[in-house]
Parts: sequence; structure tokens; C-alpha cells
Amino acid sequence: MAVKEDDRAFTHPLYDFMARMPGLDVATTSVDKLLTWGASNALWIFPMATSCCGIEFMAAAASRVDLDRMGTIVRGTPRQSDVMVVAGTITVKMAPRVKKLWDQMPEPKWCLAMGSCAISGDFYRDIYSVVPGIDTFLPVDVYVPGCPPNPEELMHGLLRLQEKIRAFRAGKPRGAAERPPTPEHMRRPSLPRLDDPTRPDELSLLQTQSAGSLGHGTEMNLIELRRSKAGEALAAKLAALRAPAEPAEKKE
Amino acid sequence: MKGAPKNEELEQLLAAEFGVTEFPADAPPLVDRTRHLELATKLKALGYRLYVTVVATHYLPQAASKAGPEQPEHFEVATALRKPTQGGALAAWRCKLAVGEGIPSLVGLFAGADWQEREQFDLVGVRFDDHPDLRRLMMPDDWEGHPLRKDYAIDTACTPWR
Amino acid sequence: MTVELSVDPPPEKPAKKPAAKAGPAWLVPGAVAPIQRADPYLDIETYDPEADLMVLNLGPQHPSTHGVFRVKLYLDGEIIVKAVPFAGYLHRGVEKLCEKLAFTQITPIVDKNDYVSPMMNEQAINLAFEALLGAEVPRRARYLRTLVAELQRIGSHLLWLGTFALDLGGALGGGSTVFLHCFRERELILDLFEALTGCRFHYNTHTVGGNRHDIPEGWASLVKQALTVIESRLPEYEELMTHNGIFVKRTRGVGVVDGELCLELGITGPMARAAGVDYDMRRDAPYHAYDEVEVRVQTETAGDCQARTLVRIREISESIRIVRALIDGVPEGPICGHKPIKIVLQERSAGGQAYAALESPRGELGTWVIGGGVNKGTSPYRLKIRPPSLHAAACLPYVLPGHSVSDAIVILGSVDPIMGEVDR
Repeated sequence: MAVKEDDRAFTHPLYDFMARMPGLDVATTSVDKLLTWGASNALWIFPMATSCCGIEFMAAAASRVDLDRMGTIVRGTPRQSDVMVVAGTITVKMAPRVKKLWDQMPEPKWCLAMGSCAISGDFYRDIYSVVPGIDTFLPVDVYVPGCPPNPEELMHGLLRLQEKIRAFRAGKPRGAAERPPTPEHMRRPSLPRLDDPTRPDELSLLQTQSAGSLGHGTEMNLIELRRSKAGEALAAKLAALRAPAEPAEKKE
Repeated sequence: MKGAPKNEELEQLLAAEFGVTEFPADAPPLVDRTRHLELATKLKALGYRLYVTVVATHYLPQAASKAGPEQPEHFEVATALRKPTQGGALAAWRCKLAVGEGIPSLVGLFAGADWQEREQFDLVGVRFDDHPDLRRLMMPDDWEGHPLRKDYAIDTACTPWR
Repeated sequence: MTVELSVDPPPEKPAKKPAAKAGPAWLVPGAVAPIQRADPYLDIETYDPEADLMVLNLGPQHPSTHGVFRVKLYLDGEIIVKAVPFAGYLHRGVEKLCEKLAFTQITPIVDKNDYVSPMMNEQAINLAFEALLGAEVPRRARYLRTLVAELQRIGSHLLWLGTFALDLGGALGGGSTVFLHCFRERELILDLFEALTGCRFHYNTHTVGGNRHDIPEGWASLVKQALTVIESRLPEYEELMTHNGIFVKRTRGVGVVDGELCLELGITGPMARAAGVDYDMRRDAPYHAYDEVEVRVQTETAGDCQARTLVRIREISESIRIVRALIDGVPEGPICGHKPIKIVLQERSAGGQAYAALESPRGELGTWVIGGGVNKGTSPYRLKIRPPSLHAAACLPYVLPGHSVSDAIVILGSVDPIMGEVDR
């Protein structure tokens, strides 16, 4: 199946041929509507629940605010799910694994950032071991704010995601989610977001490489990666990108 | 040592056999680091079987001031054990370490010391001698530096994820 | 192979008492004997050169690991030979962060450690700060803290039970029944907390010297109604643990930990009490208002997963009893020892060290604080949180070898590690 430039999730030569036949517009529109109804109302969720938001996610899946009535099933494996709900703080140690799991999800896939730790790192933003928001390495579609968000807020977020899916299947391009720009004085994290034009491309490459190289000797791979030329050049670039703070000395 | 009632048994043991004379009201008593393991063994024999915690702190060099005399850069390792009986008596003491010195590990006596000591090694950089598996616990294995030291900036970045 | 769908409950007392051997004072008579401990530092190279061991990573993402926890299992077929747990996937540097925050600002930060029972973290940290700063807690605040702690204990154990059932049966394998029931009860508790503090989660209701939110009108009757509902459903859970054949077969005799190993590892709480250790800080080293109410410590002797489950369920009923005893007799008075927080930096400490601990649903949760930090002592110099789950998670290398992988999930569930407090 070829993925075309216009960013549609699903194309097929036969589908395109049939779409150009006269009189089949009605039939394909109905089929498309059926597929859209299926895609948006049967979201299988992969919860990447690391901390407190995971508990509220479980409470949202429980009886009072029942996520199951929207057709969602919580799957433990990324290979069979549509939506990855990242609930909780992502740390530097965990981030390569999250990226790897995201890469293991089949298209079309969606990402929902639940809780302020996943959106921006919350008050852990500046800490040495915390990734300041998952949109630094994942393309987020819906942000659900809160610490933790109420289960009803998560439900609202999933409903908005359903709207977005329907709009996307109707042909609207899947852009970045609307969120207010970070105020200048809060622009502390050293890592620009995925859709930030100032973000260096080598960073994404480095992140994907380090996620992909996870294996039996994971830690050794990361050591080699960081000590490689690419890692050093990138470290210098990122240090220059960071606002006035001078790079800290690392002493044993 | 605030927060826990005065431990007479510990004070008597320290005064009698370890030559400790100062028992400040707001800090645990200071014990020589070479006798750390001996003290823990004696306390375990006395009934302090519950391993509570070990806390390592880094102190930067301090010039002489009204807060205290001049101090070089050093570490302090405080250990706490508890008696699981009525009263829950807590036995806590401190050892002072110069930079580069190590402290004997309590893993032979208390299996719970394993992870606590690994964590203090990881975050503060204090070496525990005779620890069977001293490696990092919290940070990734290839991390450089010890985050909870006072000269480590909290927003130290690590590529490629930060 | 036949599976019995219903079994008789285990006998209350052994039929024949073994020759009386005086055990130590802290161990209940009849407690499980010390187990054969596996060697956690087993050199896998020399273990058995001919065995074809498989390495299986359980985690850090796994539907059953409680949070992000990784256990590297060396398997001989289905049996575990060596288990190496790894932590740190949720290390958020809380201790470093608290070194530059004022004492009041630290409470909502440590809320997130043991995120299943946030009230406990707040209370532990504020007990230590009160000891360090010499702050007095008025009597009404102590009663309120006790009530809130016991309600939180009920909520935490209910959540644990729900997720434990998920571990046993899986979401689509019947575990979700118990999960939904437990979460339904837990929502009642969270409603009570919402009435008291305004939040379902992460309340920030404790402060140095007392509490911030006072009991609203009619809260006592709401509490009593909720407790009546929960208490009426508890016998179902206890019957599940003792009569359901599948449940009993999966948990009896699995993951036995003896009392000696528990104490050496630093494990307290329901896990130690299930092994016969007769120690509960609420009774033995009382804090808050526990010296004014009787706490009956629930112990079991078997030390296996079933015993841990039974202890936790009985602790729920014990907590209900404590709350009922205290709810009507809350004394009048202020709920905070000092004036309301309008200035964040009003507490200073020149130095000194304090350690205070309390009994959280997982064991002894303690805080070691050294005063005299930045900003003229308005921050602590060093804050160390002693998490009970760290020690509980460290028991895995001793207990897992010899069990199969499915038993490993059950044991991990019954050990109840909360990674937020293991890693902080």
C-alpha cells in the first residue's frame, strides 16, 4: 500500500481506480464513512502508564467513567493498538523504550499525552533525568492537561481525538495539535519540540538510533553512541541552543 | 537526632566500647568509619534487626565562619537500624568520610543494604567497600557524575533525550 | 486434569502443634520457617555450563509490572534460575529538587512518590519537618490525620487488590471483575477526599504543623455511609481468597518469604506481617492519634501470596474499625499549629537532622531531613525518603528463583512495589 504525499492514512491502487469510476462516488463515500466510523469508534489503547496518571487512567477505565463504552480496549502490546496514551513522567532512562514502542505500533497510530508530566515535564522539567515533554520525540495529537487529569477529562480528550480522526479521514491534514506557545521566560528545557523549526535533524536521528539499538547490551550501545562524533557535535549544538545557563561540569 | 526518642542502649554501647563522648540532641552520634561494621554487628546481636536506611550527604568545603569551623570537602554517611518490638527503638549514627575514602558495606549483615547503598553510590558517589555488586541503580549505567552532589547542577542535560 | 472450583479454607490452626520452640519476640508463634534463600549474586556463567538458559526481560513496559520496573529473568525452561531487578526508570530527582524548595513547597512534590496513597507521603514528610523545626501539631489535626491515613489505607489496599486480580487473571481473563468492584469502592473513598480537600488525587492538604483543609459539614455521615458500603462487600473478597480454587492454587505456597529475611531486607508492612512479624508502627511506635485508639495488628504465618492478600483485606476492615472509632470524637480546635500559609518562606532551620517514619500501606515510610539549606535555611540541606517499596522490590532476587514465570507475575503483584517511591 503506497502512502501518498497528501498524507492520507489509507490509499490503494484499486481504491483510487474505483474512486475515479463514474457513479461509484456514492458507494465509496459510504464505505469511507463506514471505515471512519470503525476507525474512530474502536480505538485500541496502549497505555504507557509510568506513574500517577496511570492510576487515573485505570480509574477512567473502571466503571464510573467507563472508557470501554467508546469501543476502546486496553491492549498490553503496541503491535495491536491504535492509540498510545502516555500517562506519567518519562525519564531519560525510559525514553528510548517509549520511542521504540511507538515505532512498533502499526500505522495509523495516534498519540495522546496525558497529564502535565507527559505534556511538558511538569515541575520536573529542569531535572537531569526527566524528558521535558514527550512531544520532544513523539508526534502528539491530543494533550490532556492536569495533574492528574480527572477521568472525565481523559474521556474528553479521547472524544476530541475521535473528532480529529474523523477530520483526518475526511481529508483534513493532520497537523500539530493546537496548544498555546510556550512563554519566553518558561522556555527552559534544552530540547526543542518535534515540530520546532529550530530543532536539529540529527537529534531525531540520534534518538531513533539509540532507541533502535536497544538490545541485550543496551547500555553499552548508548555509551558508544554518546562517545561518537555525532553525539559530541550534537551536545555542542544543544549547549549553544540552551539559553544563558552555562553547561555544567560533570565530575566523577 | 530529632524525631526519634533518645536511645539509651545505643548511647551506652557507644560510650563503653566505641569511645564516643558527644551525643548532640539534634544529630546522630559520630562514629569512626573503621568501626562501622563492628557497630552494626553488635547492634544486630542486640536485637536491631530491621534495616532502615543509609543516607549519604556531600558537604562542600567551608571556610571558618560563625556557623562552624573550617571544613574540607567531605561526606557523611548516616545509617539507621530499628528494633521491631514495642517502642520501635531507632539506632542511628553517622560516619565522616574524606574524599576518596570508603565505608564498609553492611550487605553481609542486612540484605536490604544492597540497594540502599547502591543508590547512595549512584547519587552521591560514596564507595561501599566489599559490596558484591556496586553499580548504578537510578541513573543509566553510562551516566557520568553523581547528581546529588552539591556541585552538580540540577538541569544537567544528557543527549540525545534532553 | 481436574480443577476444583471450590476448596475448603486452610485450617485455622495446625492439627498437631510441633514441639514448642521459643521463637524470637517479634515473630508470631507458628510463623513460616526460614526459607532456602537463592543467591542473588549467582554467577550465571558457572551455574551450569550445559544448561541452555534463556534471558527474558520482564519490563520495563509490561501490562503487569506495577509501573516501570524491569526484572531480567534467567530461565531454564519455564523455571527462573536468577532474577535481576532494575529500577530507576522513574527517577525524577525529587530529593535534588527539594533541596531548593521551601518546606511548604515540598508537600505537593512528594505527593507523587507513592502515588497510590498520597496522603502518606505528605504525612511522612511533614512529620519529619515538624520534628526538625519543633512545630506542635494540635490535637484536632492529629485526629484528622489519623482519619485521613486510615481512609487512604483502605483506598490503597482496594487498588492493590484490583490490580492483583488483573495480574492473576488478565484484563480479558476474569481479573477485571474484581478490578471493577475494587475501583467502585475506591471511588467512594476518593469522593470523601474530594469533599475534604477538593482533589481526587495529590491533595496537598498537610502542612508543617497541621492540615490545611478542615472537616466540612456532614462529612462524618458521608464517611460512615461509605464505610458501610465497603464493609458489606469485604466478605466477598475474603471468600474469594480462601474459597476460590483457582485463586488458592495460584497463591498458596507461592513466593514464601520468612520473617527473618523480611527484616534483614528492611521489609515491613503487610508483607512482613504475612510472614509472622508482629510489628506495626501504629501500635508499637504510635504517632498522630494512634495512641488513643486500639490497633489490632493482623498477622498471618504462611508468608506466601495468599497470606499477604489476607493480611491486606483484614487491614481494610481494621481501618474501617479505626475510622468508626474516631470519626465522632474529633476534638474541636485549630487544625494548624501556626498561622495560615501566606508567606511560603516562613520556616527556617539552622541545622540538625531528623528522621520520622510512619506506617504506610506498604511498610515503614520514613523521611530523613537535614536542615540548613539554601536561602538561609528555608530549604532542607538533604532530604532522603526511605521508601518501603524499594526494600520490597529488592526481595525478588531471593524469592523468584525456583518459580515459574507466571508465578513471577503473581509474586511481583503481591509484593506491591510502587515505582514512584522506589525511584523517586
